[in-house]
Amino acid sequence: MKKISVRQCGMIIVMCIFANKILLMPSLMYQQTSADSIFVLITLFLLDFVMLPIFIKLKESYPDKKLYDILKDKLGVVITKIIYIAMLCFFFFKCLLVFSVTYVYFKQQIYQDEFIFMALIAFLPVINHAVISGVRAFSRTIELFFGVVIAGFIVCLVISLFTPISTPDFFISSGKEFFSALYNHIFAFGDFIILFLIMDRIEIKKGQAKRLYFYSIFAMILVVILFYLFYAKYQITAFMHNNALADLLVFSVQFNAIGRLDIIAMLTIMFITLFQMEIFNYAFCDCFVNIFPLLNKNYSIVVFDILFCILYYVFIGRYETMVTSALFWLPYLAIVINYLLPIVLLVILIIRRRKIEKKDKNLV
Amino acid sequence: MSYFNVKEKIEEIKNTLNNSVDFSYRLYKKGSQVLGFIFLKSIIDQSLFSSAVYFPLQMYDGKITIENLKNDILKCVDIKEAKEKDMISEILDGKLIIITNFSIKILSIDLLKFPTRTPSEPPTSPVIQGPREGFVEDLQTNVTLLRRRLKTQNLVMEVLRVGSQTQTKVCITYIKGIANKKIVKQVREKIKNIKIDGILDSYNILFYLENRPGSLFKQIGNTEKPDIVTSKLLEGKVAILVDNSPIVLTVPFIFIEDLQNSNDYYTNHHYSSFVRVIRLFGLLIALIAPGFYLALQLYHYNILPLNFLITIADTTQGLPFTPFLEILFIFLLFQILYEVSLRLPSYLGLATSVVGALILGDTGVKAGLISPPGVIIVALSKIALYTIPEQAPQITVLQLVFIILGGSLGLIGLISGLVYIVNYLNNFDSFSTPYLAPYSPRIPQDLKDAVFMDPIYSMRQRPKSFSPESKERV
Amino acid sequence: MKRKIKILFKMPMIIVFIIILLFFTPFAIYSPGENRNRGVVTALGIDRVEDEYEISLLTFIPTANQSYQEKSSVISGKGSSVAEAIYNAQIAMGRSVGLAHAKTTVVNEKLLEEDVAASIDYLSRVASLPENTVFVCTNKTAKEMLENSQDLVNDLGLKLEQVIGYNANNLYVTDTSLEAFYKGYFSPTKSSLIGYLTIEDEENKSNENSEISSPQNSGSDQNQGTQSSGGSGATNGNPSHIVNQGQAVLLKSGKKVAVLNIDQLNGINILNPKSVNQIITVDGIEKNGQTISLQYKIKTKKTLVSSKFENGYPIYIAQLVLGVELVEVDGVEDSLKVNTEFSEVTKEIAEKIELQIKRQFTDSINILRECNTDVLGIARQFFFHNRKEFMKFLDGIGGEEAVDKFIDYVTFKLNMVVQPD
Repeated sequence: MKKISVRQCGMIIVMCIFANKILLMPSLMYQQTSADSIFVLITLFLLDFVMLPIFIKLKESYPDKKLYDILKDKLGVVITKIIYIAMLCFFFFKCLLVFSVTYVYFKQQIYQDEFIFMALIAFLPVINHAVISGVRAFSRTIELFFGVVIAGFIVCLVISLFTPISTPDFFISSGKEFFSALYNHIFAFGDFIILFLIMDRIEIKKGQAKRLYFYSIFAMILVVILFYLFYAKYQITAFMHNNALADLLVFSVQFNAIGRLDIIAMLTIMFITLFQMEIFNYAFCDCFVNIFPLLNKNYSIVVFDILFCILYYVFIGRYETMVTSALFWLPYLAIVINYLLPIVLLVILIIRRRKIEKKDKNLV
Repeated sequence: MSYFNVKEKIEEIKNTLNNSVDFSYRLYKKGSQVLGFIFLKSIIDQSLFSSAVYFPLQMYDGKITIENLKNDILKCVDIKEAKEKDMISEILDGKLIIITNFSIKILSIDLLKFPTRTPSEPPTSPVIQGPREGFVEDLQTNVTLLRRRLKTQNLVMEVLRVGSQTQTKVCITYIKGIANKKIVKQVREKIKNIKIDGILDSYNILFYLENRPGSLFKQIGNTEKPDIVTSKLLEGKVAILVDNSPIVLTVPFIFIEDLQNSNDYYTNHHYSSFVRVIRLFGLLIALIAPGFYLALQLYHYNILPLNFLITIADTTQGLPFTPFLEILFIFLLFQILYEVSLRLPSYLGLATSVVGALILGDTGVKAGLISPPGVIIVALSKIALYTIPEQAPQITVLQLVFIILGGSLGLIGLISGLVYIVNYLNNFDSFSTPYLAPYSPRIPQDLKDAVFMDPIYSMRQRPKSFSPESKERV
Repeated sequence: MKRKIKILFKMPMIIVFIIILLFFTPFAIYSPGENRNRGVVTALGIDRVEDEYEISLLTFIPTANQSYQEKSSVISGKGSSVAEAIYNAQIAMGRSVGLAHAKTTVVNEKLLEEDVAASIDYLSRVASLPENTVFVCTNKTAKEMLENSQDLVNDLGLKLEQVIGYNANNLYVTDTSLEAFYKGYFSPTKSSLIGYLTIEDEENKSNENSEISSPQNSGSDQNQGTQSSGGSGATNGNPSHIVNQGQAVLLKSGKKVAVLNIDQLNGINILNPKSVNQIITVDGIEKNGQTISLQYKIKTKKTLVSSKFENGYPIYIAQLVLGVELVEVDGVEDSLKVNTEFSEVTKEIAEKIELQIKRQFTDSINILRECNTDVLGIARQFFFHNRKEFMKFLDGIGGEEAVDKFIDYVTFKLNMVVQPD
């Protein structure tokens, strides 16, 4: 079995944490809760973060078992398949959303008059190839480019410091607004779920689990800093800027002579989007293969591509509809995947531990 | 027991060898004893034959026996008894065969001599400092060159013969206890399974060793320098020497090896690190510069700074070609010039470079056929290609691919192409060694000799990437 | 052949590559490139002419030469909306408009008589237009401004955005970008500040020049004009010039309410620690029986702002530490040596500087009060530091709607320390 290291796994997590949060979300959130969105973000991150210890415990208890097998043993085939179908949809829409947001950004910035399928013909084969090559190959690819991506991200953040910024206005929104924002943006979170799907592929040696915490916290801090700087720079007009990471680079008048530096953000976003799509496509295919064990990976890729092209074509004209559905309909799905599934797994873990304790007592 | 009828036997052999023009024999009679010397005069040392074989025989008075011949009479180093069925191959190997009418035994004496080069500095990898010796076509000399550097009993040199017609000697070389046994076994089996009539150069067996035959990317290392082979053997790799080829193959091969140059180890390591970064940068420029320029010009004018945009717009104004065709045209022009300068004798090479670079380039710009930025970008990428000359063939192909990707799909195409290639390389392991190690996957201890280089004394461990059997360099 | 096709299908990426070659590469080969398809607009002007909008685009014209100088011309189009006008300009240009390099957006004063945000809505929706584009107003038409801007390049080697950039950086330290405008526009007080460049006709200019030259000779006043650029514009046969006096327009809900001169702008920027290098003139200093005037330059500035409510009324307190440097002495005998006598800031000088600054500040505050424009963010300060009292106070004066009138009720306390730098 081709396994991946904890380091590579951490990098996959970092890419997932960046997914859907670094372009459109800051401005979407600002419309609801203004600068207090940072607290919404932190709260959602904390809720997410609970999943990590659950994952590590689960991995310790079942070192080489697939999530599907664990669930099948405990909950039966039907429920497991239902959960997997939910996950399949979850990852599919995540992938679609990631791609659409990036595509709209590119369309605005660099591909004004180009053909709609141009981005698809460039991206889809690459992510499909990555999925066929397997999790080890694409996690190695992420590993190779990780430095570039993080450097690009940090450069965007640092350059924004050269322009005037002031502390964002906190504590403006009401509790109701806060909670509704919390609910609306759940879909963009749940980044640790991917870990459960590839748990049999990860090799965690003793004492290495803390590295996963490190990578997750690192990525979360970067996103929080991005939010903070974005709000600090744009303040009240944050809602007008839909591409947070790139907009951070747009200079104020004083720096106009330097020229456009947003190519740094552009390249960073391209890499990040590709990697995120690879991960989500892989997750989709993994779910698909488990739901339909008779069909192999190639079928899952074909299904993914066809669905993706159709939905992309339908939705891209109604980008607003897509974003709205991500805010209002998909959170239902996200609640199931992000929070119910980990709770179920936690219960499984607790029951297992009790059983073991009982056994130990009996033995004594 | 019947002994040889010498004359008949010689005739028989002569017929087997189709009355070859260089077939030669001598008969020596002393009383009833007849000795026949059979050899190919083109590949034996004739003076040695007369001084060490024929002359001592004439001077000998007693009765000649095979034992006498072996121990007393013949003044040669390498005298063996051969089997009758091997006689032809022995003759073809440059041996002198002695048959007699008084013994069934056949003697084979190594008198092989043919014109060889003396080891000189190979043109493909010149060094500023460090040893200037290079391998030659003669396997024996090459073995000598290696043996001189590795005075260890663990140096193993296994000879296999490949090619039904050429019977070329292929020598698998490794250091026992360091090289991974699995890799040695894999190599041996792959070479044994080669079914072909002739091996003319080591490149002929290279394709049989590759894990992914037909792939664009280099999977087997090659070098002409014995010092490099020695260092690779010490890292736990396996070297394959092929007779008649000065190129020695090494496996497993990883990408970073081409970034390393033997010069790096003979200069300051800070400087070497700097140079390696430049090489990597050169590789990146070579790969994507023309495609990137094309993408900017065709799709992303808005990310060009205004001043740069003005220059490009001014210079491309009124050109007869579209940007894509322009870049393609310049690319082909450079490639043609390169091919011509490579093939032509050196005295004409200068003329082509003058005509090509100066007249064609400059006049092309002045005539308004091509734009100066286009020439600069393509020339830059073509020059940058040779920061890592070993990778030049595949990068040249990729340049064209990236020109098409950048021109057709823009920046997204370029990045997708780049990610695809890395993904592809990550998926093929050369002899179970990750191709892009030590960066993906990251192998911390191997980073000492990667893009950044530590001083030699700190490289106390052999690279983990090649999974050597002995990990410490002691 | 069959075998070859089979092998091909084993390598799907080759098929993808062939698809790209077949469907995309022909277009790429045929495409003349973006810079030939698009007119690169370096500055954009919007005018309100009668009931129509007139768009002027300062467009870069590529010329096959080796000098690599920017050669531009102004192309304009009219229409009932900005989008339509741009569409018409596009037709006139024969290329599509590329706004990605537009570094300046000029509007004329007439446009500011109504809510300018409604007029420039198109610009906020065009994503390719950089948000940091300089947003500036002119007294005549934007078209004239753009036509004259060519002369700026020729005579001073300056582009429009550089002139404004200098103002923004060194004079009043306020961004005059589209972004900055929107920031003010969407703030609760709906007030913003944008740069103002005037165009003077040639005849007026000779007077203007003499006016500028006199204070320069006396060296007593720097407020009249900062710079002017020569050359001749081409509109209406009347030669005209861009004159940069460092002015700015005060906008309320996107409408012009006042044009501030450099003095008033300095007043507004007194509490801005980045705004330095202003010259303060101190008159009437007695020295050896002679009355002289001194000019000090503000070299460093430290500010500390706080707010409180006293007896239910808002008080805004600013601590100001100024580091000043003597730069000029007027009406002095030869025996006096500059930089020795007055390098020490005496109590008398400090008081006079203080007085002058306070006067400047009061003037500016008065203008802001008159126009109900709180560009200083006074209300914001109270909202974040004395929220309860502030909200209560707002209820008292008419609810949240009255937030722009809040500045009228604020008492300002300016505590100053003046010391030599």
